[in-house]
Amino acid sequence: MVMGVNHHGILALPTKTAIKGRFIEFPMRPALRTFALGFLALVQFAAGRTTDGLVVYYDFADGEGKVVHDRSGAGEPLDLEIQDPNAVRRAPGELEITGDTKILSKDPPNKLLDGIGESNALSIEAWIRPAESMQEGPARIVTFSKDTSNRNFTLGQDRDKYDFRLRTTKRSNNGIPSIPSNGNMAKPEITHVVYTRDASGNAAIFLNGKEAGKGKVPGETRNWDKSYQLGLGNEASGGRFWKGTFYQVAIYSRALGPQEIKESFEAGANSGLAPSQESLARVFESKVAPILSEHCLECHDSATRKGKLDLSRKDTAFAGGREGLAITPGKSSESLLWEMVQSDEMPAKRTPLSPEEKHTLKTWIDSGAEWSLEIIDPADFRHLDASQASFVQRLTSREYIDTVRHATGVDISEEALALLPKDLRADGFSNTAYNLSVDLKHITAYAQLAEKIAQRIDLGAFLEHFQIHRDFRDKNMGKAITEIGKWVLRGPLADEELAAYLEIPSTTGRLGGNFDQALRYVLEAMLQSPRFVYRIERQQGSLDNYELASRMSYILWGAPPDLELFRAAGAGKLADPEKAREQVRRMIQNPLAISRSQQFLYDWLNLGRLDNLRPDPKHFPGWSPQLATEMRNETLAYFEEVAWKQKRPLADLLNTSLAIVPPNLARHYGWQPKGSGTARYSLQNIPGRGGLLTQGSVLTIGGDQASMVSRGLFILQDILRGTVKDPPPCVDTTPVPEKAGLTKRGIAEQRISNKSCGGCHAKFEPLAFGLEKFDGTGAYHESDHFGNRLREDGNILVPGTSRPIAYQSVREFMDHLANSPRVAESLTWKIAQFALGRPLAAPDRPEIEKIHQAATEAGGTYGAVLEAIVMSDLVRKRRNY
Amino acid sequence: MKTPPFQRRTFLKGGGSIAIGLPLLEEMLATQAYCARSKDVPVRAFNVFFGLGIPMPLQDEGFDGVMEPLKPLSEKLLIMRHIDQYRCDEKGINAHFDGSAAAFTGEPPEGEAKSKGPSIDQVVRHALYPEGLPSGMVPTLNAGTYFRRSRICRYLHSYNFDGTASARMQESPRELFDRVFGTLPVTADPDAQKARMKRSVLDSVVSQYKHFTGANSPLGAQSKSRVADHLDRIREYEQRAFSMEDRKSSLSFSPPDSKLPHGGEADPNGQGIDMPLDKLVEEWRLLADLYALAIQTDRVRFGGITFLAAGERLRIKGSYEYNGRKIWDFDDARQLNASGDKGCSHEWWHKFNEKKQNEQLRAHAHMKLREVAYFLQKLDNSDSVDANGKTILENAMLTISTESGDGRHANTKRELSGVFHAISSANGRFKTGQILDVNAEGLDVYNSMLQAMGAKHKLGPEARNQRPVDVIRA
Repeated sequence: MVMGVNHHGILALPTKTAIKGRFIEFPMRPALRTFALGFLALVQFAAGRTTDGLVVYYDFADGEGKVVHDRSGAGEPLDLEIQDPNAVRRAPGELEITGDTKILSKDPPNKLLDGIGESNALSIEAWIRPAESMQEGPARIVTFSKDTSNRNFTLGQDRDKYDFRLRTTKRSNNGIPSIPSNGNMAKPEITHVVYTRDASGNAAIFLNGKEAGKGKVPGETRNWDKSYQLGLGNEASGGRFWKGTFYQVAIYSRALGPQEIKESFEAGANSGLAPSQESLARVFESKVAPILSEHCLECHDSATRKGKLDLSRKDTAFAGGREGLAITPGKSSESLLWEMVQSDEMPAKRTPLSPEEKHTLKTWIDSGAEWSLEIIDPADFRHLDASQASFVQRLTSREYIDTVRHATGVDISEEALALLPKDLRADGFSNTAYNLSVDLKHITAYAQLAEKIAQRIDLGAFLEHFQIHRDFRDKNMGKAITEIGKWVLRGPLADEELAAYLEIPSTTGRLGGNFDQALRYVLEAMLQSPRFVYRIERQQGSLDNYELASRMSYILWGAPPDLELFRAAGAGKLADPEKAREQVRRMIQNPLAISRSQQFLYDWLNLGRLDNLRPDPKHFPGWSPQLATEMRNETLAYFEEVAWKQKRPLADLLNTSLAIVPPNLARHYGWQPKGSGTARYSLQNIPGRGGLLTQGSVLTIGGDQASMVSRGLFILQDILRGTVKDPPPCVDTTPVPEKAGLTKRGIAEQRISNKSCGGCHAKFEPLAFGLEKFDGTGAYHESDHFGNRLREDGNILVPGTSRPIAYQSVREFMDHLANSPRVAESLTWKIAQFALGRPLAAPDRPEIEKIHQAATEAGGTYGAVLEAIVMSDLVRKRRNY
Repeated sequence: MKTPPFQRRTFLKGGGSIAIGLPLLEEMLATQAYCARSKDVPVRAFNVFFGLGIPMPLQDEGFDGVMEPLKPLSEKLLIMRHIDQYRCDEKGINAHFDGSAAAFTGEPPEGEAKSKGPSIDQVVRHALYPEGLPSGMVPTLNAGTYFRRSRICRYLHSYNFDGTASARMQESPRELFDRVFGTLPVTADPDAQKARMKRSVLDSVVSQYKHFTGANSPLGAQSKSRVADHLDRIREYEQRAFSMEDRKSSLSFSPPDSKLPHGGEADPNGQGIDMPLDKLVEEWRLLADLYALAIQTDRVRFGGITFLAAGERLRIKGSYEYNGRKIWDFDDARQLNASGDKGCSHEWWHKFNEKKQNEQLRAHAHMKLREVAYFLQKLDNSDSVDANGKTILENAMLTISTESGDGRHANTKRELSGVFHAISSANGRFKTGQILDVNAEGLDVYNSMLQAMGAKHKLGPEARNQRPVDVIRA
């Protein structure tokens, strides 16, 4: 093998791969080679591979993450976990070990024990590429063992040989003597290695389809140890790591015959078991759809269809456009899409695709162009990084206050709001976990607040909840801390935690203090613990009942579990979906659920923005900050009325014809006030009003100018969950002022008719046409200050559709929105984002769809959506770290 | 070589009427003893950001145009032109936001408050101080005078490896002072027994955090890192609250209340605010003074400082002079004949036309660079001389950048092309005294800088073909 640098300065690594038994050399940048190999692993299938007796099978198709999935389809998957992801490089179809790590089974390998234990025969097949010839130890390639001296079996590399150790009743616990391969066989090349042993003890090693070593391994495997773990690339106890790349690993509970081994070899390193629809879909959804979404759909979605080509849907994409077929499965050379992308003719006037993206697209077409989504929704791909799911959630200030109140009975709101830094809004919500970092101010505040809470707590009342005596002896103190800690920290204490807390009464005792003093100090420490300040979960294994209880209560209430939920967790009832559902329904009835939902509303509509409104007094002389407060209160009261008191479907927030406003705001809206206090107004006969979008709190989003761009984008992005790209290059974005004969709508229509702007502006500016009669502070006018008559007709283009829906009045507009499935679905996405504390990404879509369906069937109310979220796998299962 | 005398006994004067007097400085210098002092020059890296950028054609005018304020420092800076950040384009978002996230990271945003990768200062920090910074030091200091709030990436310019903020922004002189020099409310209790109990409580808290950051932590990598950050802050708190308790009484100074709006008030619904030039400069300069003081006293070695956010919206008013020469009378709203957001200086960037004079934009850009230069000069004066006889400006890796080059010279890559950059010598690692057309991607420039600093980590996609920019190296 020769390595060098080609004339492009690219590291040319003549790489050898085996496809259908033939080695093919091709120069390719390592990254592309990696991807190509992985992709091919998913799309090329050979007839020769057998699944008879297959127990575990790893094809490394994920290409990312900490888990190596067993895709044998035999029994419960025996997945492996990568201990240090930084020590491996993953790409679809391969896993390269570059550093010292362990890749071990998470669960007991019972099916290996059962299968091989019963048959007393086995085969281990691996497609690998050693990084170097001189690894020794032997360096562990595939091992089912405990440590360097105890194993059930191990396939290893011992310098230039492969070596297999197998424990039987006639071999040592270390599986010695081993069966080695011939020498000079372990080279840095892709190699097919098979060890096989039948029930009679005949063992052999095959390399690249040919026998390369054999021997006798008498005895039975019934003495295998059940506690060992299956691992790749290192001994279970460490210290024997192997550097190289895995392409496939299969373990059979029988001895493969020479012909089967030959066929497996000829099937190639990239052959799979079967053309799994699931894995093909995964590649399309995780690799191809984001590229189409990012680079193509701006012009080739259902709405724009430039060249009469719609690449957002399978049927329209394969139907092609004016120029003919865009995609010919299996033949990139005959696909217009590839031709245009390859030559950088597309995307027009945008950044070309990167070489990696081009390669993905070409490989996808050449492999058959599997298309698994009904529609490519660009909104799904706004956040590609699912790893955001793994940020631990710090309590927001509000959650901290409520948690303190529930845990200790102390109201610390005033001090906490003064001392804790404000939680800043990111990606639409102030509880976005990745943004909940800490400053020194937090630490100081937590310490000060903990001291205040501990001093203020009514110990007598507090202790009534526990079976605790105020007895300062060690045994009682331990019991007290155990009980209190379990409650305050929302789950049982570990032994080491208890030991740490016990140091405090110990010090208190030495200084002559008493039980109460000690307990207050212990509480002070607990209130600063990561288990109090954060929603700590063990990020491995399945969720326990206490973790589940905390998830439920913080999602539903923004507060810790109450006693009933806590007891249910203690009794292990929450693992039972029906018991959990009972709790959810009970909790939704609690007023805390309403206040939590108002926090959602506050963030979603950014109602905090109203505190800082300062419209230009020249244009809005009647404005006062009080109006802003009243607008916020109007929206909160309206939401409570529609969502909670009337329990209407959430989409009705868009068109319910009522308002709850004080006289001052009623006057601002141009209504005759009803008395001197806040009153309900039916809007049936009031033109233009009815629904969230016609309230001052939302109408002010357009700023002083009542910008149609800002309002339209808000409706597109936050109500319809749509996306839009930047203005294209060389477009003058300087706003054109209104004048006599030219309204905002007229200016917007000019933009829409502009060839460069219209493609995108047509998607969102008409959404604001219906609100034209409302000025920047939400007041209603029939004409603007130039005397131009204002209109309220317009049209809605729902993302993913091609035909705009016309409306003649604001009411009609709002009715269309309220009846749009897209709006209802968008609300579910928004609430789910708030519930989970992170932006959602494409991998979340299947679960969100299930949630939405369940919620819709249950009436589509806020409570129904919450119940569906809390009962979904997104909450009830551990996130995939 | 003999260490030069520590000559920082001068008054630190703000741009306006504010001055921090000698007694305070005495305290600052005294407390330096709590940081690790060494005769070696510490490795430092700071990102200096200014909003709205300099259009490429104006950069081409060199020091004769808007870059004039950098001329006095020209021998200590390498001005880099033709650096492209267009790989950082984020769909649906204008270049203010994604260009801002790209500064110092070379990566697009991955959320409103998250970059796709770390910033260069943090890469250097972790490479050069793998075991952490000396006890008591502020790990990272992020501060600035800025007003636009809609997305955090507009004003925050230092990111962790996971792309999250490396530290919270300190947005007023008082906040910055408190963060770096302030005394903590929880200090030694005169009652010795209570003091011992406080210590015991804190020990218990620390042990809890250690458990969740240790080898047996049940947390995943990102969460563990987040809790580890928390533990770092606790250790700082511990150091400040207990070890420094003996001088709490003497450190009674605190900068005056800010006269400018902060928080949500600073960005009322994206409509912009009126801003007297003298008030803006006064607050910025006090903040810059304090930031520089934090570096001079070795409390801080890494971080970012921002003079005006990306896409800033201010209606600036006031007479602008430079070196006694009248440059311009700012009166954005009147000159734009508009109110609200349309009356803000931001609009001059929209109106840029290389065939016209662009006087207003020129004046604003000139003023921004004057203020950037003010900060840089603070690190180049006699109070900033390090053990090797060079100034902090010469020894540290200071990188100056912005969000947009508004490169209308390029058809397809308008706003994110030709983004202004300048770097200091980083103790002889980079060329200075030149204006260089590097014609490279930001990522490649940053990676070349990191390599020169001895950091192995590469920014950007792992599979990306690196194109070293050796021309910037000394």
